Amino acid sequence: MSSSSVCSRDVVVALENGLHMSPSAQIVQTAQRFDCDVRIHKGDKTVDGKSMLDILTLAAQHGTTLTLEASGEGAQEAVDALEKLFVTNFATE
Amino acid sequence: MEIKRGIAVSPGVVPGPALVLGTEDFRIPRRFVSVDAVEIELTRFRTALDSVCGEIAENERLASERLGAQYGAIFTAHLNLARDPKLRDEIEVLIREKTYAPEFASSRVLRRYAKFIQNLGDHYMAERAVDIFDLEKRLLRHLLGEQREELSHITEPVLVLAHNLTPSETASLDPDYVLGFATEVGGHTSHTAILAGALEIPAVVGIGPFLSDVSGGETIIIDGNHGEVIIDPDESTLKRYHDTQVRIKTANEKLEQLGRLESKTADGVSIKLYGNIEFPEEVDHCIQRGAEGVGLYRTEFLYLKDDREPSEEDHFDAYRRVVDPIPDLPVVIRTLDLGAEKFPHSLEELAEVSPNPVLGLRSVRFTLRNLGLFKTQLRAILRAATYGDIRVMFPLVSSMLELRQAKMILSDVMEDLEEEGIPFRRDIQVGMMVEVPSAALLADRFAPEVDFFSIGTNDLIQYTLAVDRANPTVADLYNCADPSILKLIRMVVAAARKHDTPVVVCGQMSGDPTYTAALIGMGIRELSATPFSLPVIKQVVRELTIPQAEEIAAHTECLDVARDVENYLRGELKKILPEILD
Amino acid sequence: MNLSDFVVAEAILPDLQSTSKEDAIRKMVDSLGKTGAIQPEDQESIVSHILKREELGSTGIGNGVAVPHTKHPSVDRLVATIAIARDGVDFASLDGELVFILFLLVSPPDRPGDHLRALEGISRHLRNQNFCSFLRQSKSSDAIVDLLDEADNDQL
Repeated sequence: MSSSSVCSRDVVVALENGLHMSPSAQIVQTAQRFDCDVRIHKGDKTVDGKSMLDILTLAAQHGTTLTLEASGEGAQEAVDALEKLFVTNFATE
Repeated sequence: MEIKRGIAVSPGVVPGPALVLGTEDFRIPRRFVSVDAVEIELTRFRTALDSVCGEIAENERLASERLGAQYGAIFTAHLNLARDPKLRDEIEVLIREKTYAPEFASSRVLRRYAKFIQNLGDHYMAERAVDIFDLEKRLLRHLLGEQREELSHITEPVLVLAHNLTPSETASLDPDYVLGFATEVGGHTSHTAILAGALEIPAVVGIGPFLSDVSGGETIIIDGNHGEVIIDPDESTLKRYHDTQVRIKTANEKLEQLGRLESKTADGVSIKLYGNIEFPEEVDHCIQRGAEGVGLYRTEFLYLKDDREPSEEDHFDAYRRVVDPIPDLPVVIRTLDLGAEKFPHSLEELAEVSPNPVLGLRSVRFTLRNLGLFKTQLRAILRAATYGDIRVMFPLVSSMLELRQAKMILSDVMEDLEEEGIPFRRDIQVGMMVEVPSAALLADRFAPEVDFFSIGTNDLIQYTLAVDRANPTVADLYNCADPSILKLIRMVVAAARKHDTPVVVCGQMSGDPTYTAALIGMGIRELSATPFSLPVIKQVVRELTIPQAEEIAAHTECLDVARDVENYLRGELKKILPEILD
Repeated sequence: MNLSDFVVAEAILPDLQSTSKEDAIRKMVDSLGKTGAIQPEDQESIVSHILKREELGSTGIGNGVAVPHTKHPSVDRLVATIAIARDGVDFASLDGELVFILFLLVSPPDRPGDHLRALEGISRHLRNQNFCSFLRQSKSSDAIVDLLDEADNDQL
């Protein structure tokens, strides 16, 4: 593993119905493209960003602030890619 | 260990492996695998999961091609669920470390997630649990493959858990392997309750959502005395319940010895006790408990068993099986008493869609509008009646015209049989259920036209008090002890006495020892109840004198409120039979 | 199945004068015979079939109504007639009362389904109090035929 880095960023869920199936799937797919670990924090709860089931258990509703965190190779890129999903509102609505 | 509470509808306690009836009727065949087989089982699991992923990917491709990318995305999400590494890990850990069978492990893990999501308090997300259940089903289908066991082929005793048992589901179960029932919905008069009562197995209904807590295969306890279901009981609980089971069995055996004693009051008045049955096999229960015949043979199960209407021979065979062991005792066969709420597939076409089925085309109303079906049953009854003391009874009669029409059809059937030279019983006794207030109010008109009355308290209470007992919001208003019910029973007894028409009381009231003294005091001399309850009823009868019963009945007349009547009667019962089990 | 499908309009007796059950049945069968719906040589046999059915249990089902009926091989389709007896007929009814409305039905033995549907239809209409009271008030065959049409079209 090359120079490991940690990167984190806050995002807000703008989706009307919250982080439901389809957006969760997009997060997982994006996260899985990278070798680094991806975690998502909501308050004091942390889930694995590469686990669909885990993300569903967050029940992140509209307006929720989440912290995206990646560590390991490509952490910066992973967080950038994930943030883009939130910024474009998952290209759905 | 987790305890769920519901409505106790059939007594007894029983521990055993759970069988969850889902919409697709999967059953998890076993809970554990042997340590040696773990690697094989892991491979089996991975293969199944890969197949599921392949299947979903194929669906994704088809949906995207044919319907567009946004529909494909639904499957993309499912695929991500199925490919979730965490899911795979968690299931594999259970298989490897706890030697759970893959079916059980998969179900366990997925149901835990589903339940978690359901309980998040987010309505929209809660619905996503459906997607997880869907994944569970796909996975089980692949795991069980050809081995998927049909419900009708259960080969070991199980406790059946379901949202709601449909008549066709229960009819396809082999009663020998069903130890108990527990359902999420239902009340005292639900199909499950009646079936469990008939099979004499413990049942709890109306538990509310609990199936996501159970995978199937694990040990649970159904406590039909207290209305509890215990999931994954700990050792001491299990031990306690085993003891209870033994105690109940001993008590029942003691009561069954009563079967040989006469059913007479302490002052020597004979009170006839009959059994209510659903299946011919239950005649044995009746005989064991000392019943003097079958006071109510409900024939609905004949119609629920297959997807076709029962033939005359189906009826005839069933009736012969009831009457042959007891050719000298009366057997009252009630004609089809189905309501729109529980029509089986075979009769669905004939049923009307009613916003209010209880007040709709049910029971004798239905048979009078479907004379072919009615005549088939009557032919079989008349033919079987040559083999014993079979009597026929029409349910839900609400007007004289209905009774007379039914009797006219019976005569038509006799004519047909006579023309065909087929032996039948011409002087068959004809009775009617008194279970609609109109019939109770006009009992003096009905009495001369029937050979006997049978007061069906369940429907009589429902129609008199305008309460659907299956509706939990009003179920507390349903009460046998309501003064209006007792008054109607008194009216029927008085009318019947004028015309020397015998009156039997059937329904749950006659099987509850609380009401035995009051019923006898009001002049009832014949009771028909589930065979299970006959010994304790007989015990009450034997302790009682007629003047004592009459005094109790007279006292109830001074009370205005059901609760007071009930409390009073319970108090009296304790005096009559201090050792009675609660 | 509509009442007008099997009630032979020309055979309706709007004013039956009869003192006995047998006489009433005989007059109704006779009336069917006159219209050609049944053959004269079969009349006696049909009457005795109907009377035999009555012995098993009266078809006088109360409310002043009787539905004498039988199956008979001589007819190839369901035929029926109606009679109104203003003074009533002692039909040994189940309720012990006189009968004022009579539906007489003869059906072919090989068509049991038709027979049952006709009985279902008749009993359904007889439950309608309007139908029964209008029937009793009808003074002519035409009025009765009109009433049957209205009943068939659920206009009562």
